[in-house]
Amino acid sequence: MEFWRYVAKRILQTIPLLIIVSLISFFIIRLSPIDPLAELKLNPSISQETLDKEIKRLNLDKPIYVQYFSWAKSFVKGDLGYTSAGEKVSSKLKERIPNTLLLTLVVIFMTWSVGIPLGIAAAYKKESSFDRMLTVIASIGMAIPSFFFAILMLIFAVKTSWFPVGGLTSYNFNDMSLLGKVIDISKHLILPSLVLFTISLSGLQRQMRANMLEVMDSDYIKFARAKGVSEFKVVFKHALRNAVNPMITLLGFEFAGLLSGAALTEYVFQYPGLGRLILEAVMKSDINLVMASLMMGTIMLIAGNLIADILLMITDPRLRTKG
Amino acid sequence: MKKALHIIFILCIVVVFGMLVIKKDTPENAFSENYLTETENITYPAQNKNITLDGVDYLQSQAPVGKFGGELVISTIGEGPKTFNPCNTKDATSSSMAGILYDGLLTTDARTGEVIPQLAKSFEIKGTDYIITLRKGLKWTDGVPITADDVIYTYKDIVFKGLGNTSARDSMMVRGKLPELVKIDDYTVKFTTPEPFAPFLRQLTYPIVPKHYFKPHSDQGDSVFGAFLNPNTPPTQIVSNGAFKLKEYVAAQRVVFERNPDYYKVNLKNEKLPYLDKLVYLIVGDTNNEILKFEAKEVDVLGLRGSNVARYKLKEPTSDYKIYNLGPDTGTLFLVINLNNRKNAEGKYYVSPVKQKWFRNRNFRNAVDWAVDRKGMVKNIAQGVAAPLFTAESMNSIYLNKSIKGHPQDKNVSKEFLNKAGFYLKNGILYDKDGNRVEFDLYTNAGSLDRESIGVMIKQDLEDLGMKVNFKPIEFNSLVNKLSNTNDWDMVIIGLTGSPLEPHDGKNVWTSSGPLHLFNQRPQNYKNDDRYSWEVELDNIFEEGALKLSFKERKPIYDRYQQIIYEEKPIIYLYSPTRITAIRKRFKNIFPSALSGLVYNLEEIYVGDDEEKTSLGGAK
Repeated sequence: MEFWRYVAKRILQTIPLLIIVSLISFFIIRLSPIDPLAELKLNPSISQETLDKEIKRLNLDKPIYVQYFSWAKSFVKGDLGYTSAGEKVSSKLKERIPNTLLLTLVVIFMTWSVGIPLGIAAAYKKESSFDRMLTVIASIGMAIPSFFFAILMLIFAVKTSWFPVGGLTSYNFNDMSLLGKVIDISKHLILPSLVLFTISLSGLQRQMRANMLEVMDSDYIKFARAKGVSEFKVVFKHALRNAVNPMITLLGFEFAGLLSGAALTEYVFQYPGLGRLILEAVMKSDINLVMASLMMGTIMLIAGNLIADILLMITDPRLRTKG
Repeated sequence: MKKALHIIFILCIVVVFGMLVIKKDTPENAFSENYLTETENITYPAQNKNITLDGVDYLQSQAPVGKFGGELVISTIGEGPKTFNPCNTKDATSSSMAGILYDGLLTTDARTGEVIPQLAKSFEIKGTDYIITLRKGLKWTDGVPITADDVIYTYKDIVFKGLGNTSARDSMMVRGKLPELVKIDDYTVKFTTPEPFAPFLRQLTYPIVPKHYFKPHSDQGDSVFGAFLNPNTPPTQIVSNGAFKLKEYVAAQRVVFERNPDYYKVNLKNEKLPYLDKLVYLIVGDTNNEILKFEAKEVDVLGLRGSNVARYKLKEPTSDYKIYNLGPDTGTLFLVINLNNRKNAEGKYYVSPVKQKWFRNRNFRNAVDWAVDRKGMVKNIAQGVAAPLFTAESMNSIYLNKSIKGHPQDKNVSKEFLNKAGFYLKNGILYDKDGNRVEFDLYTNAGSLDRESIGVMIKQDLEDLGMKVNFKPIEFNSLVNKLSNTNDWDMVIIGLTGSPLEPHDGKNVWTSSGPLHLFNQRPQNYKNDDRYSWEVELDNIFEEGALKLSFKERKPIYDRYQQIIYEEKPIIYLYSPTRITAIRKRFKNIFPSALSGLVYNLEEIYVGDDEEKTSLGGAK
């Protein structure tokens, strides 16, 4: 009961937050000196009448607050409106969300299943040559800019022709067998996920190492060792359970980044994900599309934090008793 | 010690990887202009003929007979098509994709620019009457016959009513009146223009759409019609009449067309075209990605720019592609000066009165023009793959005024012009006759490397004259906002695409009330009593030029308009890039054209054997 009240409270808290975020972003986008009809206006064959029709369709002839309320009204009703090119925002997002989810989930799975064990191992063998090696690799991973690494990877793909150059599927994808399709998608996924993996692995691994070191230094670990508990039990039962709490908070943030975390890499690899769509939308001030993605990002962030808090309550008995 | 070893080890890995990836494969001193060659003589096929087989009026291609099958992969830069509705396209990608799906009554000859029959079997012009005879026995992709009703519907219910993109209707209006259209029989229609109107014939290239498929949507008004045939429409539903039909659209990745088995064009053996089974457009975000995809052999055609020409030309003999020189581009790059002397809604001048005095002075504009180093731009920015431009019509326009020869850069001439206008130099700083320092802003769109380099060159040249130029590349959409709404700019470097066939298409730019009259933008419905005398003359030219029918009568009129722009210089033209395109050698029936590019005859192109290799081997 206590638990559900807590969840309900948290969900209610998001409403004012959403209103504030939407207000600020809507006004910033609309007040920026970007003309959403720029391409049309600079096309000598587009007539004034067509332009007027577009202005009316996009509500650009009305004051900003009227535009905001008409957007907010339809948003509350669940209608995300139309893009400036006249397509439905919801169907546009639907096209892209699965692609981005596929990429980010693969990356998260890879980083967590590699990063956590590496972090534990590095902490356990502190100051060994293995640990030093990991430190150097982690520094490189953290230092290299993702877009630059992505470009190097693309050139690598061209030179060796082992991998396709960007995209998600080959042009003859629909004529392939099921197995062929799976192989085709995996081939396309390897390079972008490798880039994202290298970059997020370093952070995660370092974080885990630091947590683990802190715990390994604490008195109760020394006590457990003195008691004669096996080394395996010390690390995995006593140390790990305590070291993992900060990681759960981190997992919440990863959740928030599911839909928006890979924009730059997506752009370089021409990956048909949300990041590229939103970036192009912002450049053109395609208000409905930008707003939809911002709202989605906000909701994902709040939900991610909520999930992390709930998970923490489950793993950490101290939080449970406090309610 | 150990640490150092680690670091060295890691560094080695990085360096080896880097060397693998960044290896130059062309010599440092390969300048593109040294590799510009004219394409060798190509025998072009004769014009298509009409041929009737089993009561169906086919169009017979005179190109060599090829092999059926295969696919061609082309790239398109940007976000891909926004609609497949040919009546509602507002951007180049959408209209070229919709253009593949839908043919018009007439079309433009890709090489001569003449208007020739397409869906129509023939056409006849009698004064203001245009009598069009349709081919008999043609079908939409769903098997319904194509008749005069479809033509009447397309023009009367869509174009004349102003559904979708209204540009076609505007171009057909003669002094506010639309032409009349009557059906004579099932395969004949007659258009009558209110007055003789030259650009009208070209308007008949407008795509014809199926009445039975479009009508339920067009009847529901503009907003429903605007969403009709959006990219998410299931491809099998789309009823079209072009050489290819839509097979698949994958957002942000590709558009795939497949052969229309019932197309009305046949080859010399009377087999139905097109040859290709599939036509694929890969949607790529930018030119860099396009180049990578061409190198990885994912794309078959690549437009080359600047420094790339040398690189590809050097590799051509050992590669699987061939490079064609298509001559100057249809686009124009220019520097536009703001001559606006009006006030905005708040009573403030768009351009400060001090600057107005400079910009509205022809001597000042001439000084700028003579200081601009077009040759240097061609050499340094375009790597020689371009030509200096002095005219408002692009260099491949059939209306190009060839008597305008241009002039070299000469800063002494600039100085004379400035002296004449009362400007004077003091300690290397230029002042106007009222003692104001000459300082202004120069904008262009950020992200275009060519334009940013042009800006830097112009800034340097003008600063040599003592002016102070604040060069500011800004985001494209913000720049257009300045040009078309807020008007608060001094000079802008930008480009426009033009039609090499119909100068009247530029009327939105050149007529004083046009929505794209960049250099002296008037608000809508503004009384134009503040026109320059040459603006009045331009207005007259664009009205008169459209009413004359023959090329012979029209040419001198449009020559005059280019002369006026060249003399008055509200817009200073800079250069035209040369189009160089590479295509894989296995594609045959490639007939490069300065007007239409390389792959316009999609139904005639076929995939040949790799004969190059075999024949060479045989000879030795």
